[in-house]
Amino acid sequence: MAANWAERISAFSRSPSRFLSGTTAEAFLAELLRELRDDRASYSVKVLLLSPLCEHPTLLCPSDSVGEETALELMSVFAQCPSKSVQFHCSLLLAITSVLICTSCVSNRSRASQDFVDQLLQLSQDTGDLQGDGALRSLRATACDCLRELEACCPGLLSQRLELLGALRLKETSRIHQAYAGLHTLVLRNAVYQLAQETGAGADHLKALLGGNTSVAWEAEQDSDLMNNKDSSILSSLILGPMGTIPTLQTGPDCKELRSVLSSLLEESYLLTPQCQAALLHRLIEVVAMVPGVPPAIFRAQLLRLLGTSEVGLLHSTLLLKCAFTDSLFSAEDEAFILKRLVVLSQHPLLTTPEKLFYTDCLLHFPENRPISCGDGDESLPVLLTPQLASALLPTVFNDSDTMLSRLNLLCLVYLEEEEEGEEEGKGLSYLYEHLTALLRIVENGGSREIVVTFFRAAFLFLFYFRHVERFSGGLTEKLCELYLRHTRLAPHLINLADQTQERLSESTWAVGFLRALQRVITEAPLAKLTIQDLSRHLKMLARVAEEGEIPQHSTISFLSSVITASSSSLCVSGDWRLGNSVLGVCRRLLVHPTLDSLLNALADILQHLAGRYGDTDIQDHARLYYTLLTTLSKEKLAGVLAQGASEGGRQVAKRTLSCIMSESEELTGVLTIHQTEKPIVKLVELDDSELQEEKQMDRESDSSTNDTCPDEASAAVRTYRAQFHHPDFPSEIVLRYRLTYTEDHDPRFDQLFSIRLHFNLTDDHYEELGDTSVPCLFRKRTPPVVKLRLKPWRPYPTVLHASAIFTTQDGLSWHTLLPDVRVLFQQTFTPLPAPTTWGTGGKLKVFDGLWDEICSESGEDGATSLFCCQLEEAALEALVEKHFLPYIISDPSREEEEHKVLLFLPPRSHMLLKIRREEDAVHFVIATDNWQLLPHANSFLVTVTSSQEDR
Amino acid sequence: MSVRALWIISQEKGENVSIRFSRRFSTVEHRAKSLAGSSYVAVPDESTVLQLLLTELGLSDSHKSYVALRDDCLHRQRSPALELCVDGPGKGLLWPVLTISQGSLILACLPLVDAPAEPRPPLASLLSVSQGLTLLAGLQTFLLGSGSKPDNEGLASRLATLPSVLLQICPLGTPLDLPLLGAPATSAAPMPTGNQKQPAWKTGLHRGRAVVNVALIETVRSMQYGNRSRQDLWDVYGTVTCKCEVEGVLPNVTVTLTLPPNGSPLQDILVHPCVTSLDSSILTASSVDNYDGSAFSGPYKFPFSPPLEPFRLCSYTSQVPVPPILGSYQLKEEDNQLCFSVNLKLHESVKNSFEYCEARLPFFNRDQMGIVDLKVSSGQLDVSKEKNLLVWVLGQKFPKSREVTMEGRISFSGPTPGPTDPLCTDLTAYIKLYFKVPDMTLSGCCVDQHLVQVYSSAKPRIVTSRELQSKEYFIWNSTGTAPVSSGQMML
Repeated sequence: MAANWAERISAFSRSPSRFLSGTTAEAFLAELLRELRDDRASYSVKVLLLSPLCEHPTLLCPSDSVGEETALELMSVFAQCPSKSVQFHCSLLLAITSVLICTSCVSNRSRASQDFVDQLLQLSQDTGDLQGDGALRSLRATACDCLRELEACCPGLLSQRLELLGALRLKETSRIHQAYAGLHTLVLRNAVYQLAQETGAGADHLKALLGGNTSVAWEAEQDSDLMNNKDSSILSSLILGPMGTIPTLQTGPDCKELRSVLSSLLEESYLLTPQCQAALLHRLIEVVAMVPGVPPAIFRAQLLRLLGTSEVGLLHSTLLLKCAFTDSLFSAEDEAFILKRLVVLSQHPLLTTPEKLFYTDCLLHFPENRPISCGDGDESLPVLLTPQLASALLPTVFNDSDTMLSRLNLLCLVYLEEEEEGEEEGKGLSYLYEHLTALLRIVENGGSREIVVTFFRAAFLFLFYFRHVERFSGGLTEKLCELYLRHTRLAPHLINLADQTQERLSESTWAVGFLRALQRVITEAPLAKLTIQDLSRHLKMLARVAEEGEIPQHSTISFLSSVITASSSSLCVSGDWRLGNSVLGVCRRLLVHPTLDSLLNALADILQHLAGRYGDTDIQDHARLYYTLLTTLSKEKLAGVLAQGASEGGRQVAKRTLSCIMSESEELTGVLTIHQTEKPIVKLVELDDSELQEEKQMDRESDSSTNDTCPDEASAAVRTYRAQFHHPDFPSEIVLRYRLTYTEDHDPRFDQLFSIRLHFNLTDDHYEELGDTSVPCLFRKRTPPVVKLRLKPWRPYPTVLHASAIFTTQDGLSWHTLLPDVRVLFQQTFTPLPAPTTWGTGGKLKVFDGLWDEICSESGEDGATSLFCCQLEEAALEALVEKHFLPYIISDPSREEEEHKVLLFLPPRSHMLLKIRREEDAVHFVIATDNWQLLPHANSFLVTVTSSQEDR
Repeated sequence: MSVRALWIISQEKGENVSIRFSRRFSTVEHRAKSLAGSSYVAVPDESTVLQLLLTELGLSDSHKSYVALRDDCLHRQRSPALELCVDGPGKGLLWPVLTISQGSLILACLPLVDAPAEPRPPLASLLSVSQGLTLLAGLQTFLLGSGSKPDNEGLASRLATLPSVLLQICPLGTPLDLPLLGAPATSAAPMPTGNQKQPAWKTGLHRGRAVVNVALIETVRSMQYGNRSRQDLWDVYGTVTCKCEVEGVLPNVTVTLTLPPNGSPLQDILVHPCVTSLDSSILTASSVDNYDGSAFSGPYKFPFSPPLEPFRLCSYTSQVPVPPILGSYQLKEEDNQLCFSVNLKLHESVKNSFEYCEARLPFFNRDQMGIVDLKVSSGQLDVSKEKNLLVWVLGQKFPKSREVTMEGRISFSGPTPGPTDPLCTDLTAYIKLYFKVPDMTLSGCCVDQHLVQVYSSAKPRIVTSRELQSKEYFIWNSTGTAPVSSGQMML
């Protein structure tokens, strides 16, 4: 079981989230607690079991209440277990501390946390171990550490106990006085900080605080402070240097009590381990910085000891002293001494590399007494760091990479400053350049990967500072070109250097000059010696060169042309797909090069040659495509299509599609393929009523003929009417009108859409397939265009259409997007009776009567009648008719008839006739239709419209 | 002043990587969260940390010659604080990750930043950085021992004790001490009751005979080019190591270093934290200053109260006028043969009595040695088994003339090529000297037995010793291009 636990705990700590995905936090916690209570488990296992609670308490106790319960549980384990295993006891205290702090129980001052603090305070006072029980002593030390951590996470928690803690510290003579000192100092620091935040707090408050008899009023205030203290500034270091502001406590010169506490702490600091000494000094610096009544000179007695120390932490606290108190504690000579000391330590043979690098870093952030630059956190040289002094830190080829680069950076800054001060171009700069060439020589002689990378970083640094010194930057270009020809495998490094210098040093032309030089050496080198590998790297390089509009590309073109056409070249025959792609990569960049006009013929020849002769079909196809693009598109369009792809993909291609493995063709693919939007971009919205009326009005203009040529008899009218059905022009479609608008998703890429092609798919077979609809453009800021959908029903039932759109965005990319489904409602299939245009209303009425009679009498297979009743007020009924049936009413509205006759035509050939009239008890909708299958739809339609009318 | 997490990783050139130990300090993490506010970046899982760390250290994908993420020339790590770019949920920059590595072991920790995250505070303002470095260095020494080769079993057993070690020295993420090396001294007794506080760095009390052992070791390094355009360089540094077995809670001991009458002053003196007080004049001389003839030149008094274990009391550097052994190395290439002319001269001020002295001449970028036709005026010549290294054992004494020579030729006609080196190409070659001279120092500095004072009841036995040793002592072939070394002399 024990072995099992070890495995499980280590699995948990490797990846807590993965471990908990196999179980639950709750179950695992329960298991841990059960095992902790189990007497059979050994203490070493139990210590192990506590580690998840120490390391990830919030994962196991996701809420404050679980934390509280867990802490209580652990405290009871603590109370019950015999004091045999000190290590288990100590670990328990740590686990409880972790749980209480991390679940915010402490900051909420929960019951358990208060009990725990009391218990820790008791433990810390329990000096029963004076007889020499080392075990109990380490428990006391751990209790102090836990209290310190509680105070660190909840500043002010123990402010009220300051006097007690001070007394305990003084009394303790065993090694663990260190733990008491650490606790006491931190509580003191936090208490002073809080006092300094209080308005009106002064010497008396400080005295009272140290004496332990805090005034009640202040206590109350402080409590509320603690509760509301969401501001983390109290956790931050208060050593900010001359530019920072920190809260101060005005005490006047008389703060004897504080001074005596500080002196006693400082006097005994020697007895602490260097780590604790450094931490103690840090806290005391903060206290003195907050209380102007205590002069910084209180630290003076410690200074020499600290300045001579070999301990990095102690010297660091000296620097912090310097930062906090500058010239009120350190004279100009002291400053010069410390600076020299830092230079010495930055290269001291007995120190470790990280320590030396740390000191080098400190040189660039040296806390000067009178800083010239404002402390904006950036590297700056201290005034006293002269070239003479800095020469001790000149980089050499024997340095490790980190040391070398950090020294080079420092020395570059030094010589840059020297140069700016107008002194002649110093030997220092020459030395750095010589150093760089020495590195280059090592790279040339086959230096390891690490040296190669280091060299290029050094080269970048050098250029970063001294690109303007022609003599050296030009020399470097030459040397790099030679290096490249000898080691073409360095191509990615060189391209990276060109990219970064171009990007970071945008005002400099070094990168372009460098690429130009590379182009020259590549194209001038004898072809005979060229290996396939070199060629592939050359092509990568030339592709990069071709990205520069300023660099003429004739030599590249002739290089390409000789490479692919030379009889000696087996390139075309071999049909190497990768190489072909590299060649195409260069061509592609040439296609968008500003000097394309002058390259046109030669490039076309190359592409044609590739298209015809290259031994790989894919390459041939691509070459043909380029050739076609080159010969058919205008220069602007070509640039538009290709440059677009390039700028979108950029050099660091982020998005990869499966269709293009080679990054060369990828950019193009972006332009030539259709992208899919993640979310719907546009939608179709029905026109609202007023818009609809407007639209229909326009349609109806022609409807107002007066010559009534309708036959007199109803059945004859129906016959004439029906005769139209056989006429090919008979309109058997319904027209739906929508606005094409944006969805809520606000993606600026899609602010302007062009050539939108809408495509619809049916979801059933009631309608004939729809053709696509085109909309010229859609701009977010303009009125959305109206889209007419012409639906040809087979059966006039409600339906749903799937819609999608393909469009182009301003940047030239094509997109495909899905639209929300379009619902066609039953009432949208209604159309007015398509009676011959020469008929008047009378004619339509005759058709109505004729059809009505036919349906009622004939009771044909498909005909049916039905009655729908509902309760409606007079006005409501009129409104309903007005709203839903107005275009279809054929009874003369001017004659005050008692019933409305409504004739609905539903393409292709169905009719629905309504007689709407008021009876005593209700409104009757008498329905007659020649297609009984419409009745359920009619019914639900009437239910909908009448109920919505009732609601009014 | 605290660390959020600690990792111990073993690897071999980027292969066989594994996290051997890790520890998160949840309460420090809790503080990190409140301090960083919205810019808080959580510590990711072990495996993620591991992968990011290896990339930053240039150890990932060791078979690939260029990886953009790893090798970008813009990307200069501001060592010793690395920046890990955490991707995915909770992404951001994890900074400052401190690492130290020795052999196959990498130790890393993430100190708490107790300052506003923007703009990024300088390392100099974060005490947790130096504390973290000290913690890592202490753990490294504990795990690997000082300098000795790491043995896997020993490492594993020490790793297993780490949880209980950390319980002592860093229970809640705040380093309190460094791990003790080995078992505490057996004679250590618990504290008697009294008013004198026991130093926290003293694990117990010594009982028994008082013995004070003071050892002074001077190390000399040199780069000799034998070329007018490049000045030869050498430097000397000394360390004083003490082992004091003295009774008392806080016994007082004073060690005094003295120089001969016209000796140049000790510079760059660094002292152990147990030194109680220092005279300011001791610290004034610095190697980066122009030598000031009026500088203080001793005696150098170091009053201290010793810890139980051996410790380095102080260290210094010194500028001596001449190197102990002046060499000249000349090679000429003649039809795949190298003609040798080597001369080594022992300076008259150096005691001609070595514990050992040997010169090594490695050869790179050549085939193995074939015929070796060399004559030495003194000592004995060995060819290494791999036939790419010549070892000239000079033994305990130079001849009376204090000068030795080696002449002759070697043909590199061996069947297989020897090792390669990017630095030592063509005629760039060196001799590396290894020697140790007991009972002498170059600076003339010594610890006078009578000037070791111990203020205690019993009269202590006092043992002092001194020796000179070489380290990185190179003599470059003057006919080849020597790699540029320090340019101090040019400026």
